[in-house]
Amino acid sequence: MSSQRITESQVLDALRSVMDPDLHRDIVSLNFVRNLKIDGTVVSFDVNLTTPACPVKDRLREQSRQAVLSAVPGVTDVRVNMTAEVRRPTVPQAMQIKGVRNIVAVGSGKGGVGKSTVATNLAASLARSGAKVGLLDADIYGPTIPIMMRSSRPAEPLANQTIQPGEAFGVKLMSMGYLSPGDQPLIWRGPMAHKALQQTLLTTNWGELDYLIVDLPPGTGDVHLTLVQTVPVTGAVIVSTPQDVGLQISMKTLRMFQQTKVHLFGILENMSYYVCPHCGGRDEIFGHGGAAEASRALGVPFLGEVPLDRAIREHADDGVPVVIAEPESASAKALDAAAGALAQQVSIQAWKNVPLTIVEE
Amino acid sequence: MASVDEARVTPAEIRKKGGERITIRWGDAHESVFGARYLRGRCPCAQCVSETTGVRMVHEAHVAPDVTVGGANLVGNYALHFDFSDGHTTGIFAFDYLRRICPCDVCSGGPA
Repeated sequence: MSSQRITESQVLDALRSVMDPDLHRDIVSLNFVRNLKIDGTVVSFDVNLTTPACPVKDRLREQSRQAVLSAVPGVTDVRVNMTAEVRRPTVPQAMQIKGVRNIVAVGSGKGGVGKSTVATNLAASLARSGAKVGLLDADIYGPTIPIMMRSSRPAEPLANQTIQPGEAFGVKLMSMGYLSPGDQPLIWRGPMAHKALQQTLLTTNWGELDYLIVDLPPGTGDVHLTLVQTVPVTGAVIVSTPQDVGLQISMKTLRMFQQTKVHLFGILENMSYYVCPHCGGRDEIFGHGGAAEASRALGVPFLGEVPLDRAIREHADDGVPVVIAEPESASAKALDAAAGALAQQVSIQAWKNVPLTIVEE
Repeated sequence: MASVDEARVTPAEIRKKGGERITIRWGDAHESVFGARYLRGRCPCAQCVSETTGVRMVHEAHVAPDVTVGGANLVGNYALHFDFSDGHTTGIFAFDYLRRICPCDVCSGGPA
């Protein structure tokens, strides 16, 4: 029996040695340590991270445990409970979508790089990690989210001029595809597209969301401008194939985000390589390392490579993202890792963002 | 985000003094003070700068001396929008444009 009582400040001092690897500050000054309880020789506390998808969660848990065990005399057991609370970057109140903490745009330079497939899997993966996630299909002319995320309850307009989003795999969904179903095309000029996106952004009952993923149409057009002018986009992900021609065009989308001061979370390389289902051999159909090289050159994080895999396509056609349908597959793990890397970048950005408002003097 | 060039065109603080002036303190600590008429005469919209030739059509000299800024709003993360008292509302003033037209003695106004 230890003669001296263990104090809270001893435990907190010990925990000051545990650093968050992304924010470069210790977990005590970041105010991550909550609910500290000392029961005799047993210490318990929560470590409240900035995202449930944190890739270093287990490492931080173990470091916190060891720090207290080794630095505070008399402690026999340390119980660490990992929790998460996604922070909202500081932006002017009037422009926020109520309840939505972070808006993440997913764009690409050209069509057919698997942007919607990536967006649905990122959304489903983040939701599975415990985050509250919404997915807005901003591809007004070719909405594919209703096909790729089979929802038992589609979105529907309510009497009070708002839209109730659909839901699938814990992700709230909104798409033009719900409002113009079947094979009916939307034949709209720019101003109509602009209005439609504004309405779906602002009048959908998103509720509380940690992440709203916005699946953009390919390229740089009306919809992109509307998005960046209507709401403060926390940041953007560029989906690219390894092919250089694909990358050169991705650059245009990247420059558009830079010009409109949308932070770049990183580049995600889709269709990185093909694994032959017969021999297991890896074939780099579109070349290798293009996107990783480009992100290095641009100083933008590389969020990972996702293989060209029949299973991803088949599950998407079935309406179930591969991270849900086959969570143990290599493709699902690649997408989960990308979602974790993205969540990490969002957390960093949420801390760095400076508040910008117009102050009356 | 941390680069010097970025800081130059990223506002740290935006202040509005009634309808008469907008002050921006930039990420590099430089401060720009824009009068309402100065801004109205440098509106970058397609009505004030010809879409086909790029030649400025509306100059400060064309603007009423007593014009004021009724409202000022942020546009996404990259620009400001003003409601001028003469009814003109179509300009989107990107931050890098505002920095280019800083009227202080050092920057000397930039393009009029």
